[in-house]
Amino acid sequence: MQVFLQTLVGGIGFGAVYALVAMGFSIVYRTMGLVNFAHGSVVMIGAYTASTFSMAGRLPFPLAIAVAIVVTGLVGLIIERVLRPLEGRDFDLMLIGTIGFGTVLEALAILIWGATGHAVPSPVAAAPVDILGIRIRTYSLVVIVVAAAATVLLALFLQRTKRGVAMQAAAMDPQAATAVGIHVGRSNAIAFAIGAGLAALAGGLIGPMLYVSPTMGGSLGIKGFAAAIIGGFGNIPGAILGGLAFGILDSFAAGTFQGYSELVVFVVFAVAIMIRPTGIFGERTVNRA
Amino acid sequence: MSTLTVEGLGLRYGGVRAVHDVAFSVAAGEAVGIIGANGAGKTSTLKAIMGLAPRTAAVLRYGERDLNRTPAHQVVRAGIGYVPEGRHVFPGLSVENNLLLGAYTRSWRRISFDQVYGLFPVLAEMRHRLAGALSGGQQQMLAIGRALMSQPRLILLDEPSMGLSPKLVEDILAVLKRLNEDGTAILLVEQNAKLTFEVTTRSLVMENGEIAMTGTSQALRGDPKVRRIYLGL
Repeated sequence: MQVFLQTLVGGIGFGAVYALVAMGFSIVYRTMGLVNFAHGSVVMIGAYTASTFSMAGRLPFPLAIAVAIVVTGLVGLIIERVLRPLEGRDFDLMLIGTIGFGTVLEALAILIWGATGHAVPSPVAAAPVDILGIRIRTYSLVVIVVAAAATVLLALFLQRTKRGVAMQAAAMDPQAATAVGIHVGRSNAIAFAIGAGLAALAGGLIGPMLYVSPTMGGSLGIKGFAAAIIGGFGNIPGAILGGLAFGILDSFAAGTFQGYSELVVFVVFAVAIMIRPTGIFGERTVNRA
Repeated sequence: MSTLTVEGLGLRYGGVRAVHDVAFSVAAGEAVGIIGANGAGKTSTLKAIMGLAPRTAAVLRYGERDLNRTPAHQVVRAGIGYVPEGRHVFPGLSVENNLLLGAYTRSWRRISFDQVYGLFPVLAEMRHRLAGALSGGQQQMLAIGRALMSQPRLILLDEPSMGLSPKLVEDILAVLKRLNEDGTAILLVEQNAKLTFEVTTRSLVMENGEIAMTGTSQALRGDPKVRRIYLGL
């Protein structure tokens, strides 16, 4: 029982990070209909920026993550600005453009930080906390709380602010949104920047849990993407649920199947997607008009 | 008082000429109709005015505003409201949010829904529903209400009668008349000529992307040539 609960909490910790990555994918997809294949690399840049500023720059960890969010947010704005002329014209080229940006970011990371990567010390006391007899890594709790807070903030922004509602409208019907006065290009840019900011938060948080290296974006990107798909692509609650499901599955598979855990996780994913291709919250029925 | 002036308006989709050398004007408070068969270029004309499709025009201005130099998202700020063909409400947002977005160019702090809810009481009842869950007629009312929320002095309507029951068409007709009496200029695009003639004082008949006839709606109503153009005889 104890092992089960500890594995579960650890899985939720990773799952929270996957959820952040998946939300980044989803917010760009639902605004622009575009899968940002550079997203994993943006996570990696976020992880490097946050860890560099906290280790070498001696900034407090939360501040280092804030810096990383700003830096990757700018990266997101640049990607959108470069791709904007293709918007509504050549969709395939936009997709390829994001793949290209991913490669460029990876190469940049190797140039700046080298190819080997580094380990990041945990920013909180390493001693696990004891809750009702279960020993839980303190850092897992931090990650879960921060990810939950970020999710609530994003939801409030989308539902309650004028800019957020306008972004949703631009995603649903760009022409009608333009006619009521919304600058759709700007709305897309903000979506890209928010997506990149979420990526940096995810990267910064996962740094102390994994090893930070130029290739970490690949596997994190794939897992976040898969989480977004399983939740129903473009759906924010779906992304959260998908991310958590992936994290939990991952951590149980790691305990049971060790080296084959990735294989097991993705086989389960493939079967789930075959049974329900639209994901948990496939939005097909809502868009009726 | 602002007049919409259009001269030498043209629009192509790829190599296909959708609108060619169209010229007309809508004075402040006036109600003008554009009728014509399917594919005559009516919708394209409205989209061209709104800047939603790449167009060319010798003159395209509304009052002091040169629409030729106005980006599409600024046209509403000139005082032009747009009700697109097929409603195009934001399906995943509530009725109230749809209306608020209509007022995107205004401050949301002291916004009042009174005018729209007065014209369409059913929208007040449905205000927390998702727009995608409304019936076709309710969506049409919402699309008109959304356009009104920007407090336009000119409103462009694209086929507001499409797919509606005769009763609902009557309701929409009454609303349009009332808006026009209150001083809002109207440019109404319709396949339903009868409805158009009832709302407007002047109409254009479009055929193959060009203006085939113009005249007072009174005169066009009885003109056999209008029927001929319509039926393509």
